[in-house]
Amino acid sequence: MFVELQCIVVTPERTVHEAPAEFVALPLYDGEIGIAPGHSPMIGRLGWGEMRIAHEGQTNRFYVEGGFVEVSGQTVSVLTSRAVPADQLNELAAKEQLHTALEQPAHTPEEMDARQRLADQARAQLRVIRRAKEL
Amino acid sequence: MVKARTLDRRRKSIRNIRKITRTMELIATARFKRAMDRAVAATAYTRRITALVGHLARSGLEVSHPLLEPRPEPTRAALLVVTANRGLCGGYNAAVLRLAYAQWDALAEQAPERQLDVVGKRGIAAFRFHRIEMDRTFTDFHDRPPYEQVERLANGYLDAFQSGRLDRLDIVYTRFHSLSRQEAVVETLLPLSALEEEEEPPAEVQYEFLPSAESILDEVVPASFKVRLFKCFLDAAVSEQIARMMAMKAATENADTMIRNLTMTYNRARQTQITSELLEVISGAEALEQ
Repeated sequence: MFVELQCIVVTPERTVHEAPAEFVALPLYDGEIGIAPGHSPMIGRLGWGEMRIAHEGQTNRFYVEGGFVEVSGQTVSVLTSRAVPADQLNELAAKEQLHTALEQPAHTPEEMDARQRLADQARAQLRVIRRAKEL
Repeated sequence: MVKARTLDRRRKSIRNIRKITRTMELIATARFKRAMDRAVAATAYTRRITALVGHLARSGLEVSHPLLEPRPEPTRAALLVVTANRGLCGGYNAAVLRLAYAQWDALAEQAPERQLDVVGKRGIAAFRFHRIEMDRTFTDFHDRPPYEQVERLANGYLDAFQSGRLDRLDIVYTRFHSLSRQEAVVETLLPLSALEEEEEPPAEVQYEFLPSAESILDEVVPASFKVRLFKCFLDAAVSEQIARMMAMKAATENADTMIRNLTMTYNRARQTQITSELLEVISGAEALEQ
């Protein structure tokens, strides 16, 4: 029996994407996860990076930043603070963010964590942009 | 006896004012619809977050987080006041400010160190007039506050709270209940009161948590704080437009009544003038005949 996933991506501002999908790949906190129809119920913590939603031979690519994914039944709901289509990312802004993050002095462990997070997020954006360009 | 011509001039100027208030009413209506759409679009996220908290609670996890724990003796408190950038919206700003002054004084008794953050030009001007020092001011939240901006503000508060530079955060804003009811309220955002969880019969689904339920809770709590702050801003934006819409509608109606009354007085004045001129002509002619 062939079943499809229903993939819903919401941010605090609006619902970004709501469509059927055959396969969804997401950046989890510690690595990528792929979700196909029939996946067991799961709640996962998202990291930052590229989310791919495959449907009928087409792949929608998004950059997501933190949040959660909930799989229950055939529904995949992605809650994230940012979800930007890969081709709408701003390369200059990402480079700028990376640059300022690296320039910023950090003396306490918290500050160093914050700096690392900003830099990682900027690098993840740049990676998503590069992959979108290659295709 | 007022001259007919002055009355006419006054009527014209009121007509012009009416045109302006009517336009402002239409603009506010359009903006209100946009703000309302945004607020509705934002509920999807809130609903899912509360559902998520519900799943977590049902998995048998003890819901506890540093952000949820009340601090016994708060010494450093912050107050965030959300007002509009523009006036001409009835009692909207006044209602928020009245509460804000009261809360600011109340905080003085509880916490020796106070921090005051004000959003909106109206609020900034009012506090300056009262010679109350503000720590931070924001004027860049318009009728469509972007989430990114609110998140930055929220992150600032979260960092301060977690590192102990802040024990309590209150917000004064206008809550949107319905089209006909909005009210200014004070809410304590930090420490967060209990997380809202969805009330539904426990589902039979057993979720797997990646990496663990605790780790997810660590992320859910700040996320729900941010979204709650964001909702305050959205509510304030919607309420502001409604308040302006109502105020301008009332102004237009008042202008209408005034125009009606003035027209009547004008017609009477003109008639009196004509009658007296006629009388003069007639009496002049009669005097000549004699």
